[in-house]
Amino acid sequence: MRIEVDAVAGTLESSDALVRVSPAEELRIEVTSTVEAQFGAEIRRTVAEQLDRLGVTEGLISVQDKGALDFVIRARVQGAVLRGAQARPDWRKL
Amino acid sequence: MSGADGLETAVEDGCAIGLVDAARDARGLEQVRGLLKASGLGLDADVELFATARDASGRLLACLGLAGDVVKCAASAPEVRGEGVTARLMQRILDEASDRGRTHLFAFTRPGNRAILEGLGFHALAVTDDAVLLENTPFGLSSYVAGLARLRRPGRRIGGVVLNANPFTFGHRYLVERAASECDALHVFVVGEDASAFDAATRLRLVRDGIAGLDLGEQVVVHPGSRYIVSRATFPNYFLAREDARASAAAGLDLQLFRTAIAPALGITDRFVGTEPLSPVTAAYNAEMRWWLAEAPLDAPPIAVHEVARLEVDGEAVSASRVRQGLASGDLDAVARLVPGPTLAHLRSLVSPGHRR
Repeated sequence: MRIEVDAVAGTLESSDALVRVSPAEELRIEVTSTVEAQFGAEIRRTVAEQLDRLGVTEGLISVQDKGALDFVIRARVQGAVLRGAQARPDWRKL
Repeated sequence: MSGADGLETAVEDGCAIGLVDAARDARGLEQVRGLLKASGLGLDADVELFATARDASGRLLACLGLAGDVVKCAASAPEVRGEGVTARLMQRILDEASDRGRTHLFAFTRPGNRAILEGLGFHALAVTDDAVLLENTPFGLSSYVAGLARLRRPGRRIGGVVLNANPFTFGHRYLVERAASECDALHVFVVGEDASAFDAATRLRLVRDGIAGLDLGEQVVVHPGSRYIVSRATFPNYFLAREDARASAAAGLDLQLFRTAIAPALGITDRFVGTEPLSPVTAAYNAEMRWWLAEAPLDAPPIAVHEVARLEVDGEAVSASRVRQGLASGDLDAVARLVPGPTLAHLRSLVSPGHRR
């Protein structure tokens, strides 16, 4: 999936994450987290895996994590990417 | 959860987040003005809306403003200072900005608010004693700078000029010619904000066409402006009439960005600027330029600053404001002595018969 426009998903509430995506010719991922010390590596892996599943190979991805559980992070990454790709997905298949 | 979060929640529970539309809600705006004043801040004329926090009785406790893509005018009553309320206000501002198609935002605030904003996904671009400028992406400035670096030109002395060119005159052309004659290559930036009498695309085109007449070829690179150079984000005072103290703080941010990010990307060693007898904001900017570019102890090489005396025509300095005055009074013959051919052609098209104001 290709990111065509800037897009956002999520919030800065506790236990959520704010994900922003922008078009680019390379893939860059930046994660900041309130639980960086304990779970930073795991969060990065979750983000990278979800991007991989969505077939995102290019784009600027920034994740501002406020202690979200991993399925929340996956959902926020997916939401931002689908918006950024201006996709109209078949939700049943996702 | 830390103890501090628990205390914050107690205050948060009692407050409601709302909006004040600066154009429509005069009463709300007066309350915001009062809260800002109590924090020693002014209400900037370009703020379109404020996210507000109020207690059960409707009293205003905290506010955060949005002006274009700049978040600013943050203030709160003493009892609610802390990250919790600011986070909720920021969330509201992010939502409102996103609805308006603005996802890349800047924040202009006091240095004391830096840590809170960094916790909300902002990254600091420049800091002075009085102000900090941040953006809500880790990629913004670095992507811009990477793009600039592709336009590097070889040479030992590399010049930089920033023009609003509203519109481009013989004065601007003289400055460019003088700067180019002293440098191996010259980078000219044209202010990108659409806040002037002539829109950004027109100003850029007139600069490019006007400079083409000098036959300097590849030696001069004309760059469209960006959010990172003399914009409403980096230098709000250029676009707002405000008191001197704020003017100084804001110019420092702009100049710091030029020295630490833009100049290193292009290898700029010298900055050229016209002397400024008329505009007080621009004159203050020139005075600060020497400190921030050449003297301030920053983590970037110093840049030599050269003030070039204004070109005079008919015994008077050529300036864009003089051109605009001539245009307003319909005196195109006077204007023709001040501007190069492409600018004159554009001005003639504006005042062609039937369109005269």
